[in-house]
Parts: sequence; structure tokens; C-alpha cells
Amino acid sequence: MTTASVIGPTAWRWIRRALLGVGVTALVVWTVFPFFWILLTSLKQPLDVIAAPPKLLFEPTTQNYQAIFIGQKRGLYASTRPDFPNFFLNSIIISCGAVGLSFLAGVPASYALARYRFRFKEKLAFLFLSFRFAPFITFLIPLYILFQQLGLYNTYSGLILAYQLITLPFTVWMLRSFFMEIPSEVEEAARIDGCSWWGVLTKVILPLSLPGIAVTLILGFMFSWNAFNYPLMLAGRQTFPVTVGAIQFISYEQVLWGQMAAASLVAVVPQLILSLFVQKYIVRGLTMGAIR
Amino acid sequence: MKNWMRSKLWAVAGLFLVLGVWICWAAVEASAAESDLAYYRQAKINWRQFEGQKLTIGLNKHQYTESLLPLIPEFEALTGVKVDYLILPENEYGAKLTADLSNQRGEFTVIMAGAMRNWAYVPPGWMVPLEQFLNDPKLTDRSWYKIEDFFPSLIAANRWNGKMGGGIGEGPLWSIPVMAESYILTYRKDIFDQYKIKVPKTYEELAEAARLVKKNAGIDGIVARGTPNFPTLATGYLTGIKSYTDGKWAELDEKMYAQFHDPRAVKFSKLWTDMLRESGPANWANMTWYDGMETFAAGLAGMYPDCDFFAQTYEDPQKSKVAGKVGYALLPPGPAGTTYSGVFTWALGMSTATKNKGAAWLFIQWATSPRTLLNATVEFKNYNPTRVSVMNDPRTQKVMGGWGNGMYLKTVQENLKTARIAWVPNPERPRMGDIWARALQEMYFKRLTPEEAMKRATDEVNKVFKDIGLQK
Amino acid sequence: MSSPRASPRPREAILPYLLLSPGLLLLLGMLYPFGLGVYYSLTNYYLQYPHLFRFIWLGNYIKLLEDPLFAYSFKFTLAYAIVAVAVQVGLGLGVALLLNSRIKGRGALRAMMLMPLMMPPVITALMWKIMMASTKAGILNYLLSFVGVGPVNWLGAMNSAIASVFIIDTWGNLPFVSLILLGGLQSLPTEPYEAARVDGASAWGIFRYITLPLLKPFIILAATFRVMDSLRIFDVIYAATVGGPADATMSLHMRAFFFAFQWYQMGMGMAYAMVLLILVFLASYFLMGYWKRAAEQTTL
Repeated sequence: MTTASVIGPTAWRWIRRALLGVGVTALVVWTVFPFFWILLTSLKQPLDVIAAPPKLLFEPTTQNYQAIFIGQKRGLYASTRPDFPNFFLNSIIISCGAVGLSFLAGVPASYALARYRFRFKEKLAFLFLSFRFAPFITFLIPLYILFQQLGLYNTYSGLILAYQLITLPFTVWMLRSFFMEIPSEVEEAARIDGCSWWGVLTKVILPLSLPGIAVTLILGFMFSWNAFNYPLMLAGRQTFPVTVGAIQFISYEQVLWGQMAAASLVAVVPQLILSLFVQKYIVRGLTMGAIR
Repeated sequence: MKNWMRSKLWAVAGLFLVLGVWICWAAVEASAAESDLAYYRQAKINWRQFEGQKLTIGLNKHQYTESLLPLIPEFEALTGVKVDYLILPENEYGAKLTADLSNQRGEFTVIMAGAMRNWAYVPPGWMVPLEQFLNDPKLTDRSWYKIEDFFPSLIAANRWNGKMGGGIGEGPLWSIPVMAESYILTYRKDIFDQYKIKVPKTYEELAEAARLVKKNAGIDGIVARGTPNFPTLATGYLTGIKSYTDGKWAELDEKMYAQFHDPRAVKFSKLWTDMLRESGPANWANMTWYDGMETFAAGLAGMYPDCDFFAQTYEDPQKSKVAGKVGYALLPPGPAGTTYSGVFTWALGMSTATKNKGAAWLFIQWATSPRTLLNATVEFKNYNPTRVSVMNDPRTQKVMGGWGNGMYLKTVQENLKTARIAWVPNPERPRMGDIWARALQEMYFKRLTPEEAMKRATDEVNKVFKDIGLQK
Repeated sequence: MSSPRASPRPREAILPYLLLSPGLLLLLGMLYPFGLGVYYSLTNYYLQYPHLFRFIWLGNYIKLLEDPLFAYSFKFTLAYAIVAVAVQVGLGLGVALLLNSRIKGRGALRAMMLMPLMMPPVITALMWKIMMASTKAGILNYLLSFVGVGPVNWLGAMNSAIASVFIIDTWGNLPFVSLILLGGLQSLPTEPYEAARVDGASAWGIFRYITLPLLKPFIILAATFRVMDSLRIFDVIYAATVGGPADATMSLHMRAFFFAFQWYQMGMGMAYAMVLLILVFLASYFLMGYWKRAAEQTTL
């Protein structure tokens, strides 16, 4: 006896609808409210930011956004060229590079770990995971010293390499799980048709695991984008990403909350664009039907 | 098909956003506006003697730093030295700076140091004494630079003979001060006047005043820093404990043994934490310097014993609701009647690992010259200024004199007569301070009695010092 | 369904190793700095006192065990990770199911769900800290006052600080769990469901006996990553409570950070980091064993 048959299908449908409605509303409020608050803060003047009780209605201003993009004129001298747009570009370069490199190395590795049986397989798989064990401080000073010696300090390539600590284990394990979900019959059929392992990988595995790849891509990008501790030490002003840039609004005699909020929101935009682009791939693959 | 189109549109929109941002940024010319190079060229030195060299300066985010940034192209034009800079907030700056100095790679050449920071950077030999440059006529035009124009006490604060436990004011000059702060009591004059609360002259009166404000005005009587780390102690608390004990108690004795368990220290700490528990904010244990400042500026606190220069925020109607309502007073003295305020200076120093020491000195000289510091104060609100000429400049006097209707200037000038570095020179100030701040929190939450908490702090600090061989 | 190849052809025997090599190369590059970190943990390395530098074997670890705060740190880190991950995975499953059902605006909802991940943890924690102010300027308390709930001392009291850290942490990381589980839900095969529907199974029955077991590998994967990150929790605590009040939120990572970057005692900092690393290693090893079994079960 299902629940539906006990209380009647219509009543059950309404209850389900109500529960779903409550759930969705709670989720939306919970997720979006802090962003709403950050948005309000970014439009407030300093007096409104610290106001008590907190102001939901106030006179908005765009001076925070102006300040981070255009800078403010001071006295007799020319505007300070703000670094924020530069930080923004750095974030894009570094994150794309880090995720790209992880995928380049990770896709073959995950495929091997998912499909082949060989000695040390589980140990190697675990090894990939293990580099996410260490707290960042274990690596920070040694990497700092090493990078200075190798000339990788304050370079994009250095940061992209360091970021592998964040993205590579994650990429390998996620892809491995998703690859393992694909039925081997599909793969064997392709082989019978004469595909090499490369053909199987590109024509069968990758298209079928599109949802998994999409999820891994977007999450990996976000982890890279939001890394803070590595670039703090390993980057200089030319390569700081937005995360390090955003805390620069903590000055010695005041905190520019409005500008910090504005900078944080602007930094969200590329990730938002990427996620909107990617989320439509988080849907069924070709052989999967719908789950009830 | 539609989906495909839509996502393409999104991608294009994103691209435009990025391009638009880049264009805005590129459109802002850092025009070398009015070239005041003439003023600098008055100095009888060859500014271009290090032409072609490169400097990386590391500074913390500060009004003074803000003032330097637009001027850097001028320095480059003046000297032919390329300057690259890196700016971070204080905490992050400290971590990165120490890593670089320890590594001796010379990534940071000119650095932001200052009295207390020097104690960590000088013993390992990371900083360069500046006399050699000051006394070299090829590098410094003393009549133009006017080092005597600096407040003597501030220069003294940046001198140190390298001996732990003392020696401030003697020995080499390690850094040139660019900003100074001392600690005073800021209070809501309007509330005090309304409820006829007296400005406290002892710490018991301070607690009473806090109680009265809370009772009558319904807001927190007093706010203070409270996070469990050493900056919490540095301002009001340290001034308080040193004043309360008439300057006779110090956290370390001559043999570098901790003295927290001293009954006088325990008594004051008990008074302080009791006061905050009773009349202070609910989240004292989480309050940073800016929490306190913003709470006071929002009109939610009766008093804030902390940095004097926060007045620039309090008196700005665009940033504070209490502009014009703030009173400034010395923190209460001890029984003998003198207030011993702490003092701190941010100062420019030079790293030993610098390859271009001459160029670095030229930068320091330029950045701390009378005109540059005047600009920092008048245009960029760098308070409190460290040069007498800047302090006495009519524009400075007009702004600072307006704060609290002259009460600010009067109080700070009075304060500076007896202000001094409140800490005992030792290289483990962060560690010691963190242990000390934690003791305060244990007291506040009544997890330990004040005696137990302070005794434990003493034992822990002694252990730390023993490990590094600091105790005699 | 997805059994690994039984007998690889000789030519292809080295193929898996070739495929793994770029990834392994990257990781091996990290071995040197890691080794350096281990080395430092066995020394008396103070950044400021290079002259004191000595190899002291397990001296730091002994001092660590004597550290009065170590026991609490250890227990807090472990307990926090277990509770936080359990709750986050549970909630994440609920959210994934929600996002998987046929409701309007599903795509927008999924994109929105990702948003907390788009904020750097440091900024997230700072913004929450402002929202959680206990004074009248705190927006959370302000909103709560409308439903009659008294002002909450979010970050200023010991127990509520732990809860607040948990709230901030969950807000930032729930999307991660939800998304992995959603991806998992999306990639489940349809045959069992069709068979079950033919057999007339209830919604709950389907969930319990088909969805949940099939989803196990993903649940464990999400849990593993969350455990690894929860044990190493840092940014939120650093920005919101700095390990306080009264050391209530002093996780092992925070303590290691303090030693290494606040007090410049690299030796002790690395020792704490190594202890944490061993903890993460053990947890992952345990969980990965689980994962392997679950993955084998679901690949019939």
C-alpha cells in the first residue's frame, strides 16, 4: 500500500506540492538572503552600512562600484588606477588554467582508474586523493621557498601548478565515479565496431558522462576561483586573484564594506555565467531515462 | 536550438562585461599631473644616481599608503628607478613580510615596520640601520629633509639598541615614522551631559560611567576589543593597566619572566573584564577594532577606549551618526595621577636583503619628506602626522582642531606628553599577547578565576620564553 | 555494468600507467614541498631565530601532546567534522532530490543553488560575521526580533559560536554536496526504476531500496570530500571567530596556523599540520574502503 493509495491520490498530490513549495522557498531564502544583503551593502553609503537598526530602505549609490573600477580622484593628483580589473583578469586566467590542466591530466587518469585493472590501482587512486589531505599550511612555506628558487613566484604558471593541489584530486575522483556509471556494454559495442581506447573515450565515455563532467568542471572552477591562501603567499600584485584583492578593503583605520561587497559581487559574475552555461548539461545522458 | 542560442548569448554578454571592465580601467590615465618635481629637486642630491634600478616595496593598507600610490609615477620620473608595490591588510601583510624577510630573497625592499615590529625584525638582522644613509651627504640633504622636524618621541620610538627588555630610544634608527597613534577615551558627550555622568578620572569611575550609560541610555556602556589575540590588549587595556599601576608594573621583569600573576595586574584585569561583562556588548569576545569603532560610530556605545585617530571617522557625518557628539579625554590615570598611554607608529624601514639599498633609501627619503607627508595628511587623512610642520600646518589644525571642538587636539597633545611604548621589547609579543588575551577571555567567561587565569598565562609565557632561551 | 577489463591485451598492459602519468607527474612535483614540511615538523624551526635551528626528532610532537589545548582541539575538530558532514550530507540529499523533481524553474534553481560556492570562504565568513552582530546593527537579530526571538549572541558566546561557524560552513558547502548528489541522481540507470514501477512499489520503497543503494558511491564520495575539508576547516573560523571565544572554535588547523603564521614557529605549526594530516588520512582511508565496496555493489 503506498501512501498515495491510503490518503487518496489527489490529497497526496497536494501535500506533495505543499511540501515541495515549502522546501523550495526555504532553500531559496536560505541561499539567496546573504547575497541580497551583500547587494544592499554594495549600494549603501558608509553611514548606512553601519546603521542600527539595519536599513532595508535607503538611498542607493553607485560610488562603491565606481571606486573599484574607476578609482577616486584625490585632491590635486590623478586618480589611482585601481587594481581590481587586473585581479579579475588574473582570476580568470588562473582558474581556467588550473581547471584546464586538471582536466588534461585528470581525464586520462580517471579513465584508467575506472576501466582498467592493474597493479597498484587502488593505491594510485588513493595517492591522488591524498594530496587533498594536507592542510594548506603544510605546503605554503615550502612552496613559497621553492617557487622563489625556481622563479615561479608571482607567475601564472606557478599558481596554476600550485592550484593542482586543489583541483586535481577532486577532478580525478569525480570523473572516476561518473565514468564507472557507464555500462560496459556500450563501451564493448564501440570496441567491436573497431574503436581504439581513444575513440571509446572521446565518442562514448565523454558524451555519456556529460552531467558528471559538467559538475566537475563547474565545481573545480569555483574551488580555483575562490582559493585564497595559496595566492596570498605565492602571488604578487601582478597575479593576485580577486579573492586576495577583495580583502584589500580592510584598511588600517576603516573597513570599506561597501566596496568589498561590490567587489565580491562582481567577482561572482563569471562563475554565474559559467554555471548558467553549464547547468543545462547537468541533465540526462543519451541512454538514461527519467527517474520517477 | 533556443537553448544553444541563449547560452551563446550569455557567453557573449560575459565577454562584453570583461572587455567593458578592461576598457574602463585602461581609460583612466595615470596622468603625471602637476609635476611637483621642482620641490624635490631642491634637495642637493643627485636623485638620478640609481637610475635603472628596480624596487619592490611592500606596504600595508593604510591612508598613508593610499597617499603614496598616485605619487609613485612621480618618484619614477624623478629618479629613473622603477617601483613595484604590493599592498595587503595588516594581518596578511605581516605573514607575507615575515616569510620574505626570513627567506632573505629581497622581494620586499622598503617595508612598513614600526616600534613593535622592529623587535621581531631587528634581532635576526633583517633590517638596515638608517644612520648610514642619513649621514651620507651624497644620499641625503639634511637641511632639505629636516629629520629634526619629526616629533622626537616618535623618532625615539623607532630607535632600539637590540636588547630585549628595554633599550627603546637608544641605538640605531631602524625606521622613519609616518603615522602615530595613541590611546584615549572617546565618549558620547551628549549622553554624558544629558544624564550628568562625569568623565571618569579613575578606572572604578570608568566602570561606573559605563553602568550609568547602559542604565540610562539603553546602549552598551562601553565597547572594547575582545578577540582572543594580542591586538585586543594593545590599546585601551594596556594603557589602562600601565596607568592603573602608575607605570610600575610591566608584563615582564628584567630577567624576562612573566608577571601576569602580580596582584595588581589581576586586580585591573578583573575590573576590566567585569566592566565589559556588565556593561559591555554581548559579543565582546568577538569584537575587533573595526567592530568597536563602527559600533561607536553607529551610536550604539557610550565609550570606546582605543585609537585616537578613529576620531576622523567619528567626526565625518558621512560615516558616523555621532559626529559632533563625541568627547575626547585622557584615559584615567592611576593613583599617582599620570596616564601612561601606549603609542604606536607605522614607519618605513629597509630590508637587509635589498640589493639596491641606495635606491631604497632615496625612496624612503622621498616618501617621508615634508611635502609628501603633508600631502598624506591633508589630502589623504593620514592621522596623526609625525612631523611637527605637518601638525602645525593650518589645514591640519583646522581639520583636527574641529574634532570635538578642539577637545581632540588638546587631549592628544596632553596624552603625547606622557605616552610611551607600552610593551616590553621582546620578540615573542604576538605569542605572549595571544596567551594574555586568552587569559582575559577565560576570566570573562568565568571559566577560571582571575588569579588562576593570570597564573596560567604566566606559566605558559615562561615556558615559551624558556624554549627560545630568552630568560636570563 | 561497468566491470573493469578482465584480461588486458599485452600491448595495452602499460596503457593505464601511461594514462596516469601526467597526473602522477604533477603530484610527484608536490612531493618535495611536502617532504620539506615533514622535515620542518621534526625541527626547531623558528622563522625569527634561525640560529636555534636544530633537528629535534619528535620533540615537537611531544610538546604537542603536552599542549593543554591539543586535547580539546583534537576532539573539537573530530566531533565537528562528524556532525557537520552528517548533517550536510543529509540536507544535501534532500536538496538534490528537490532539484531533481519535476518543478518549474528547475534550471534557475540549480544555478541559484551554486551561488554560495561562488563566494570565497573568507568573504562569506566576513559577511556572515557582520550579519551575525549581536548589537542592534545585526540584520539576523533584527529579523528574528520580528518573530519574537530574542537577540542571539551568535559569535560572542562559546556554544553559539560553534553553531554559527557550522551555519556559515553549511551555507557555503551545502551546494557542493547537493550538486554531487544531483549529478549522481542524474546518472542512475532507469531499468531498476521501470521494473519497480511495474511491480507497484511505493515512492518511499523505491527511494529506500533502489535510489539510496545506487546513490551510495556518490554519497560516500561527497561525504569523503566534506570530511577532508571539515577536518581542515580554516577560513570560516579565521574570519569569524579567530579560534575563540575562549578557544571554543580552535580547530587543529587554526592552531597550526597560529603557530606557523602568527607566532612564526614553523616546527610546531608543521607538527600540528601533520597530526591533522594523519587524521584526514585515516578518515579518508576508512571512507574510501566504504566507497570501493559500495561502487562494486552498484556495478552489477
